[in-house]
Amino acid sequence: MNITRRDFLKLASLVAGSAALSSCAPVYENLARLDFLPLEGEGLGMGVNLQDFALVNRLTFGAGHEDLTRVAQIGIDAWVQEQVEFESVSDERCDLRLRQFDTLDLSANDLFDLSDKIFDDQDKLKIPNELRHATLTRQVYSRRQVYERMVEFWSDHFNISTEKGDCFYLKTVDDREVIRPHSLGFFGDLLWASAHSPAMLVYLDNQSNLKDAPNENYAREVMELHTLGVDGGYTQQDVMELARCLTGWGMKEHFWRGDFEFDADNHDASAKKVLGMNIPAGGLEEAERVILNLGLHTSTATFVARKLCRRFIADEPPAALVSLVAEKFTTTNGDLRAVMQTLFTEGIPHIQPKFKRPVDFIVSALRQLNARTDGGAPLQKYLGRMGQRYFAWPTPDGYPDTSAPWMSNLMPRWQFAMALVQNEIQGTKIDVEHLLEMSGATEIEPFIKWISALLLGASLPDEECKSMASALRSACAGDEISTARVVIAGLLASPAYQWK
Amino acid sequence: MNEEHISYASRKPILTFAPTKTAPRGDTLVVVFLRGAADVLNMVVPHGEDEYYKLRPALGIPRPDDNKAKAEERAIDLDGFFGFHPLFKPFLPAWQEGHLGIIHACGAPDDSHSHFKSQELMERGVENEHGPASGWIGRHLATLNTNNPSPMRAIALGELPQRSLYGSTPVSTLRSIADFQLRGNETAVLQMQAALSSLYSGNDSLSGLGRETLSILDTLEKIKPATPNSQLPNYPDSTFGRGLREIGSIIKAEIGLEVAAIDLDGWDTHFAQGVQSGQMPRLMQNLADGLAAFHAEMIDHADKLTVVVMTEFGRRAYENASLGTDHGHGGMMMLVSGKLKSTGVFGEWPGLASHQLYGPGDLAVTTDYRDILAEICIKRLNNPAIDKIFPNYSVNMPGLF
Repeated sequence: MNITRRDFLKLASLVAGSAALSSCAPVYENLARLDFLPLEGEGLGMGVNLQDFALVNRLTFGAGHEDLTRVAQIGIDAWVQEQVEFESVSDERCDLRLRQFDTLDLSANDLFDLSDKIFDDQDKLKIPNELRHATLTRQVYSRRQVYERMVEFWSDHFNISTEKGDCFYLKTVDDREVIRPHSLGFFGDLLWASAHSPAMLVYLDNQSNLKDAPNENYAREVMELHTLGVDGGYTQQDVMELARCLTGWGMKEHFWRGDFEFDADNHDASAKKVLGMNIPAGGLEEAERVILNLGLHTSTATFVARKLCRRFIADEPPAALVSLVAEKFTTTNGDLRAVMQTLFTEGIPHIQPKFKRPVDFIVSALRQLNARTDGGAPLQKYLGRMGQRYFAWPTPDGYPDTSAPWMSNLMPRWQFAMALVQNEIQGTKIDVEHLLEMSGATEIEPFIKWISALLLGASLPDEECKSMASALRSACAGDEISTARVVIAGLLASPAYQWK
Repeated sequence: MNEEHISYASRKPILTFAPTKTAPRGDTLVVVFLRGAADVLNMVVPHGEDEYYKLRPALGIPRPDDNKAKAEERAIDLDGFFGFHPLFKPFLPAWQEGHLGIIHACGAPDDSHSHFKSQELMERGVENEHGPASGWIGRHLATLNTNNPSPMRAIALGELPQRSLYGSTPVSTLRSIADFQLRGNETAVLQMQAALSSLYSGNDSLSGLGRETLSILDTLEKIKPATPNSQLPNYPDSTFGRGLREIGSIIKAEIGLEVAAIDLDGWDTHFAQGVQSGQMPRLMQNLADGLAAFHAEMIDHADKLTVVVMTEFGRRAYENASLGTDHGHGGMMMLVSGKLKSTGVFGEWPGLASHQLYGPGDLAVTTDYRDILAEICIKRLNNPAIDKIFPNYSVNMPGLF
């Protein structure tokens, strides 16, 4: 299928009316089966062609059975639209799974109290670990996949490491009150919330940005990494002046610890000039004026557009695409839904393969194999060994988003594949017997074909299939089920599966 | 979507890197990072400096000729001015064989006194928070094509790779050799290896990496059984000691190791750090015993091996009221190599008199750590791309090799 922009818009408008209806799928459809969802559909593509499979795979954390079924029902364009208008997609099943986490909804002060008990080491780990477990749970189980991908994108863009000071509990608040509410909202709101986020202010040292001892860290990064980009037209003088505007921004340390605080006593009240704008003495409002301005700046539009295109389209996205997306950003005042619609519509023809980051690799395997997981520590350990623990990247630039930095050590990926198929990761299970039964295969070759179609969207070519089967046969004779496990592990570990 | 995307689910793109130079690999480099800021003044003691004993009435290590102290508690003289803490005695052979270079008052310009920031900047090899996010070793590997496809080209001992290794190049993170293997019952492992050989038979770079990984698996299988029981030199029974032993085995297995990074944590000794026993002496013993055993085991490889020991900064010259030391500035580096011009304590000694101290009372930095590392890159690792490895820094090599 060749999706032109006009086709896309036409389809999108046709489906717009039915999207709301389609979201009324039975709310409790899966509650009775929290374990394994039934895999249904003919063969593997579930009636979805390879292009659509590839697109779904790119826009989600792995083209799962449920996503493909939905695409087969309503068509790819309506599916994209539905995903961008995510509120209409019910997500009770995921929400139910999140109920096991106590700390996600607590205030900063309560989280701090919780972490300050006698067993402080354990309590200090509990909060960030629950956030990590919840993040993985959402990525695997949420039906709002594009939204969750945006959450991931902004978590990188506004990177905060839980390893720094009070961030170990403040990041939970930042995730809940900054990143998630605005991931498909307006960029300006997201930036505003992030600037007032104690986690960000602590992470980038604005907590110690005081009248008599200015600290430029946040002032610089908010322009370099969050908005304008390093070549976006600000100077060292602008950094220093914005830092002065931001003096006194931080978090409360005593009562209501972890809440945002503007400490007027530590604010430098003299006049400033940032990016050509005169800022008269105005306390909190000084930096807020600059932040409003930064959120709408044309350099911000281009910088954010390029990063979004890099995440969803190609490591080196075409400049023309970036400007189209940036233009939409500017004309809509940073409306991220409009921006993403444009990006998807215009960007699809430019999609280039991207090497899966570790999170992508692990979550896609779980989703495509219909795994059951609690997102717990034994699974998270594999992310660590592959180099992508959630919320643990130390520097404010976020985890790398191009292929090259991740193309290094294959061994932890292979080990994960082996452990997963043998159900040796505590808290995470796949049902190999069911997959084998679903495939209807009685020989190795057809099973390889079926699984490769499930994982890659198309069966391995006959020759590669035969060569893999004969390698398996000659290595050692295993029983049917254990050979099936190795087939799955091999395909997860294969070169093709490392790309999406 | 155009035609060429149709099959991309199974497409295996080849990513091209453009190293600045192709050259045969040089030494194997082992970088030991002492995290937490080691109190280097109590490791390589300036016993010829009166100020040292004034600043450290309780923590000072007695002079080699101090008859009031027990012989085994005195510094071991190296050159008439500096001496080792007595716990470094096992490491003396390296000094006596001409394989040990100590660069005192060595460190980075950053004076944030922050572990987090200083370690980060030092491992990135940059002056301040700007500049590349990758690490200096990562950039060394990325800028030098040694025609070495091994995923063991660089290894990180530990749970996560060290920041210095970040870059577009393969790094294997392992706690031990046993981490580099497929687990499962024998049939499954054999079948998996066969499946992987078949799947990774293409011409793309990823398939190349996969094949190399399989061949290393094979090699490590063979050396593995020897490791746990072998009667190697007396490595300390610690994570650090075991890590060094693993590095030694991997070097001897000749599977393409060019750089290994290993950490020894716990040097942030603000409180009761100890003189002859206690937290810091335990760390020194672990370090000295580990380095001594590694040196002894690898003596036949000494001309093709460079070991660097570094720390993010040193500690305050004067002891604090809790009989510990606070964050300081100047540190120290140690080099172990068979190719050093000579053994010695190098670098300009800035002195410890109050007017000679830096900031709140710290040892000054007279040698930038990048000067040492750059000389290693150029002379021992065959990599002249210093402008990429240490951007915006003008190197002044001390001429140790």
